[in-house]
Amino acid sequence: MKPQLTLQTPLELPAHEIPNYLKKLWISKDDLDSGANTFSLIVWQPSWLEQCFVKSKLINGPITGYLTEEIITSAKKLILENGLPLATPLQSRELIDLLNKNIFDDSFEDLRGQFFESSISTLNPRRIITLAPTIQDKYDIKTFVSAYCPLSDEIRDQTICGDLVVFRGSINSIFTEGLKIIEKLSIDDLPSWLWWNGSLDDSPEIFDYFSKEGKRLIIDTANGSSERCIDILTNALKSKRAINDLNWVRLKSWRESLAMIFDPPSRRNLLEHITQIDVDIEGDNIVQALFLISWISDKLNWQLVEAKKENEITLIKFKRDNGDYILTSINPMPIGNPSIHSGQVIGLRLISKVSKDPKKNTCIILGSESAECMRLEAGGMADMHLIEEVVPSFLMSSEADVSKLLASSRGDTSPLFENSINITSKIFEILKL
Amino acid sequence: MQSSISNPLRLGLRQERVIPPQCLVIFGASGDLTHRKLIPALFELFLQRRLPSEFAIVGCARRPWSDEEFKEKMRLKLCDKISSYEQEWTKFTEFLFYEPVDLQEESHVKRLSQRLIEIDRLKATHGNKTFYLSVSPNFYEGGCKSLKNVGLLDDPIKSRIVIEKPFGRDYSSARKLNKIVQSCANESQIYRIDHYLGKETVQNILVLRFANTIFEPIWNRNYISNIQITSSETVGVEDRAGYYETSGALRDMLQNHLTQMLAVIAMEPPGKFDPEAIRNEKAKVLQASKLANEIEPWNCCIRGQYEEGGNYDNPLKGYRDENGVGKNSTTETYIATKIFIDNWRWQGVPFYLRTGKRLPKRLGEIVLTFKDVPVHLFESTIINPAPNQLIIRIQPDEGATFKFEVKSPGSGMRSRPVEMEFSYDESFGEPSDEGYVRLLADSMLGDPTLFTRSDEVEAAWKLYTPLIELMENAPWKLPVYKYESMTWGPPESDQLLAKDNIFWRRP
Repeated sequence: MKPQLTLQTPLELPAHEIPNYLKKLWISKDDLDSGANTFSLIVWQPSWLEQCFVKSKLINGPITGYLTEEIITSAKKLILENGLPLATPLQSRELIDLLNKNIFDDSFEDLRGQFFESSISTLNPRRIITLAPTIQDKYDIKTFVSAYCPLSDEIRDQTICGDLVVFRGSINSIFTEGLKIIEKLSIDDLPSWLWWNGSLDDSPEIFDYFSKEGKRLIIDTANGSSERCIDILTNALKSKRAINDLNWVRLKSWRESLAMIFDPPSRRNLLEHITQIDVDIEGDNIVQALFLISWISDKLNWQLVEAKKENEITLIKFKRDNGDYILTSINPMPIGNPSIHSGQVIGLRLISKVSKDPKKNTCIILGSESAECMRLEAGGMADMHLIEEVVPSFLMSSEADVSKLLASSRGDTSPLFENSINITSKIFEILKL
Repeated sequence: MQSSISNPLRLGLRQERVIPPQCLVIFGASGDLTHRKLIPALFELFLQRRLPSEFAIVGCARRPWSDEEFKEKMRLKLCDKISSYEQEWTKFTEFLFYEPVDLQEESHVKRLSQRLIEIDRLKATHGNKTFYLSVSPNFYEGGCKSLKNVGLLDDPIKSRIVIEKPFGRDYSSARKLNKIVQSCANESQIYRIDHYLGKETVQNILVLRFANTIFEPIWNRNYISNIQITSSETVGVEDRAGYYETSGALRDMLQNHLTQMLAVIAMEPPGKFDPEAIRNEKAKVLQASKLANEIEPWNCCIRGQYEEGGNYDNPLKGYRDENGVGKNSTTETYIATKIFIDNWRWQGVPFYLRTGKRLPKRLGEIVLTFKDVPVHLFESTIINPAPNQLIIRIQPDEGATFKFEVKSPGSGMRSRPVEMEFSYDESFGEPSDEGYVRLLADSMLGDPTLFTRSDEVEAAWKLYTPLIELMENAPWKLPVYKYESMTWGPPESDQLLAKDNIFWRRP
């Protein structure tokens, strides 16, 4: 993570003075706005886990808003030491409540909103507004402003300067005072994004406020209850708001790898004879796996027939145009070292039967590690014509994924994702009943 | 590059960047290029959902059309292509506008400026404008000056200008044109199109060279004997005689498309995948290029002109019998030349470039022939073992072939050549974007990687200056040899290589 240099030390100003201050900062002598002509970004950055760790003195400060290796390691250690289930998400309420019991009242340096990764700063955002709610309930709002001008490799004529604004306070103070000021900070001509970098169960009143504002949303459905996550997605589609999900973005290498296997025209026939798909996930959040299965079913024009849970396994049945059934399953796997994001897909097995002779049939296995591949080829699968691949799953930071979305300038929801959400929500409705 | 069945899992997977809100102004909108290439490419971008909702296309030409007439004309011209996409086409036409403009008249351009302000408000295009000059190069100077004087090129971020080849007729006119265009806009605002660079396979050369470890160590004079670059067409001049008579094969194809392929195949690896880094390397290699014999350039160049040919069922006219061509025309429809590159990588390696009309096949390819083995240990099934070759097929059947020797089955140790094949169609089965789709998108995205820079253009003209001067001042020294239509050019072209004991590859 490279800290982005600001032109000035963040200036603490009363919230109501910020709009005028920023206006004066960027309006040139010719009355033209001289800030970067790119986008504005609002970041909801609670960083509850980091705040708890720092305030309980389990790690050193300052609070930066980044999920560092130290925090991840400490969280995993805490899960094990306190006998919590291995599948406990690192940013879960249980873990935060556990840490909350031992926090100290000392003040710590809080630098949320003043550091951001170079993957975002190289896009030259015009304005980044960070909402940094504090653990303490009674914390009046404080606001900070700074200007920033990254050094460019190229000689450019264009201005690439922007500003950072931070609203730090209790959730209540942000809601009652901060939101009013944020309205005045929007820049009409530029695309405006909201990145909800926290659990989707938190502060629904603030999330719903921004959702109504017409911002392009970036969320992560690995962080929050499945019900709330699916609700947000379907509401966004209904009201035609642009929504992006990092949980969907992280599926990219799976979609690419699976599509790549069927690129050679000689293999296309297998797609019409798929009989079974099994998806292994770590943890028990099934949303990402539902996205993957929904995407496949949408592309191959399958109809949803039924969905049910058998113990921990989710079973979904589809029907092809020719009347054949396809059985899919989502299997939570007990992983010794779970990732940051709950419910990540770790393996996929796809079986295509063109004949009664098993040797003429095909089993395709994608695994994010070779042990997973070995697990999936058990049970006679290796008898078939086997296509096997270990999909590299690089630990990209959320900031890097967000920067790709920002760079795409996409002002609407990806049609692939939209179709996947529709099928996922139908499956979810059936499972709830 | 077509496959009858697309991979359903591949559909919509490509997450391309969406073009930012923008107004694309096409000058010369009543011309061929607009309905044959530009509008179809824009429609394709629309179908791929890469056009923002805040978008406008303003066609400009001297014809006194209205918005509706322009939309209707485009619909009629494209009716075959859009027949399966009626609903989408209707939606697309909401982007189309028209303003009658004579680019040479500043008052017209001023009126256009007002219209663009209205359209900008209507479509929320944020003041971003791309001006596409699909007009004769004779109008570039006046056009750029009008746009500049009216203030439409003032903002270097929000405005850019796209121009088509030819960029000048020779080195001095290219420099003059560059100076004029650069006086109206910054170099960063200028996008010079060479549509060969939009081809997937030309871009693949960069990936082939720089994403694989095995090629770069042998991509130099120590291992490569010669490189042949061919671009051939089966068609004749058709209805382009008016333009072709003033240009010929050198200006139409050699100076731009083939030279760009030369640059891409011969350039040094860039330090990073950055537009300027890549263009720097291309410019450098072109600046180091020279004709094999600059003192007697007639010894390293052959010009040809097709005569009648074909067969009884399909007779073909000779060039001088085509409509619009003078009976005594000496315009070359074929040109072959030999070039050297004076740098550490390529010193002494001949590059043979040839292009022509009415040749037996339509193809584009680059053939790298490697040096012979120092010692022939094995008897070959043919007379001598064939040298290794890497053949990069630009079109059709895009892909690459690597030819090498293996043991021939049997008890003896005889070798024979075989081919290792990569075909886009067989590996991907996915049609790639047509060149203009990619180039239009990149110009509107502000990505200049696939566009030529002023120094590249000038270096490419400078390279052929001895030939151009010869053609103008002493044309008898560079005669135009006849060749029968549907043959591989004049026999004299074979002599150009035979002197070096090399032969043109017969594709």
